[in-house]
Amino acid sequence: MSATTRDAIPRTIPLRWSAYRVATGLVLAAWATTFWFLLLAGRSTLYLSSRTAWVVPVGAVLLTLAAAGRLATAREQDPTSLGRRQSWLLGLLLVPVVLILVLPPSTLTSFAADRRGSAASAGYTAPAADIASGPLTLLDVAGAQTSKDGQRALAARAGEQVAFPGFVTREPDTPADEFLLTRFIVSCCVADATVAQVRIVNVQPGVWADDQWVSVTGTMYPLGREVLVDASRVAAIEEPSPAYLSP
Amino acid sequence: MSGDVRTVPPAPAGPHDLLPPNGRTNAWRAAVPVLVGLFALAVVLRITDPQSIGWMQNFFLVFSGLLVEALPFVLLGALVSAVIEVFVPMSTFERMARLPKAMQLPAAALGGIAFPVCECGSVPVARRLAMKGLAPQAAITFMLAAPILNPVVLASTYFAYRGRGVLWTMVLGRAALGMVVAITVGWVVGARSKDELLRPSAADAVEEADEHTGESRGSRFFGHMGGDFLFMGRFIVVGAGAAAAVQTFVPQSIVDGVASMPILGIVAMMGLAFLLSLCSESDAFVAASFVQFGPASQLSFLVFGPMVDIKLVALYMGIFSKGFARMVVIAAASVTLVACLWLQVWTG
Repeated sequence: MSATTRDAIPRTIPLRWSAYRVATGLVLAAWATTFWFLLLAGRSTLYLSSRTAWVVPVGAVLLTLAAAGRLATAREQDPTSLGRRQSWLLGLLLVPVVLILVLPPSTLTSFAADRRGSAASAGYTAPAADIASGPLTLLDVAGAQTSKDGQRALAARAGEQVAFPGFVTREPDTPADEFLLTRFIVSCCVADATVAQVRIVNVQPGVWADDQWVSVTGTMYPLGREVLVDASRVAAIEEPSPAYLSP
Repeated sequence: MSGDVRTVPPAPAGPHDLLPPNGRTNAWRAAVPVLVGLFALAVVLRITDPQSIGWMQNFFLVFSGLLVEALPFVLLGALVSAVIEVFVPMSTFERMARLPKAMQLPAAALGGIAFPVCECGSVPVARRLAMKGLAPQAAITFMLAAPILNPVVLASTYFAYRGRGVLWTMVLGRAALGMVVAITVGWVVGARSKDELLRPSAADAVEEADEHTGESRGSRFFGHMGGDFLFMGRFIVVGAGAAAAVQTFVPQSIVDGVASMPILGIVAMMGLAFLLSLCSESDAFVAASFVQFGPASQLSFLVFGPMVDIKLVALYMGIFSKGFARMVVIAAASVTLVACLWLQVWTG
């Protein structure tokens, strides 16, 4: 082979790390870490319903694969650089990561219950047959309020003893010896939370602060779309996990 | 010379298997201020404990919740989009484009049945389909129909209305109305080219892997998947922030007063669907809670929300040309309103 021919043989261009691809791989890795953190720390149900919490492990695996694949293929012949604008756009995607990892765990409170108000109350329909028998839950009470059959089935159980866990909320005109026992029903994520509420009467004034988790035992009296519980016992409890009810 | 392989001088070995020194320096210069900003944010959040303030706690929780729920679906959409780009030959789309026009839009709408993800996943797929040569109106019809017609969404609608007299009105009405609106909007969009449909920056930003046709399929796949996810992700972050702000500052009770008014009831529910930006897989549970609104108003919520809401508008503005995004929003709103008004008159 002549020297001229040898010079014409194409030589493979060496691969070099692309700053842009590495940066995007690291952003994906940060999100993968966040999803693993939510899964391993048991925080998925702070944001999601227990019926959609599967999204977190699936997201963790997919994001990990996407990050690994992106980093494994981050070398290229003509490396893409990382500009200031690209950096800030990638940084925007990391803001929620910082929020989730840094802020202490919390759940929806009386603030959200006030916002969601009466229009969004009882976002779940329970079959009348389910309400008519078995132990009553706040899910049954909320589900009964959206249909005539449900209301009738609940009314038939007036005077029964119930025990509901929930947290304390109040409206501006709530008397001192009453409060609203509240739970959120979350179907997918906290953005779709709807309110399940019963009015607790005959409680000791000045004892129970807003957002305090309590267990109330008493006698239930459905009155149209409102349900009263005449409290015989109110006790402080730890916030349950998950804190939200799932339909 | 052959266009595929470039002849270059011999490359030095070892440490030069990295960016050139000036490239590395520029990358660090761009990255460091962002990293410092994020670190400062973390320190401020830790010191000030903003969650002790009710509205801040609610905003952060709803904002994070929307993203934790949406991002896996965005990634799933990006994955499907990357599969389409890398593994599905162009000839497939050319064959689809040869279908009679009258069949293309219904076929695109019914395609949504086989794609069980919500609206966050259907947008990147529709964009990719348009870029691969599918008629833009068919891509738009698919994008609007998939989040409504997919089996998970129809099943969640069934469970939300189980035990009520309007159960099948809502489930079948949602599917039928969703399909009608998606096809009509696709038809209104007309025979525009993909260049009229997509923003130039969106087409450019798809992924730099497009330029590297010599790369392996694996490299192109991960390039497209990561690129699509990050491109869509920034609009989802902005949209989730806006939706969380609305949920934090606008009491839902303000819509109570208009519930019984025929036109206003429908408009109010469409407005609410726009503001709340719920996932189509869960919105039926919220719609079902508005018992003071009639079935037609609730259907308007269930059909309009998966097509147009705050986070989707942010996405549309990012990937579609401005006029086109506006046309999709106006067409979807008009057709939904007219269809629901007709339904209201028909059902009495």
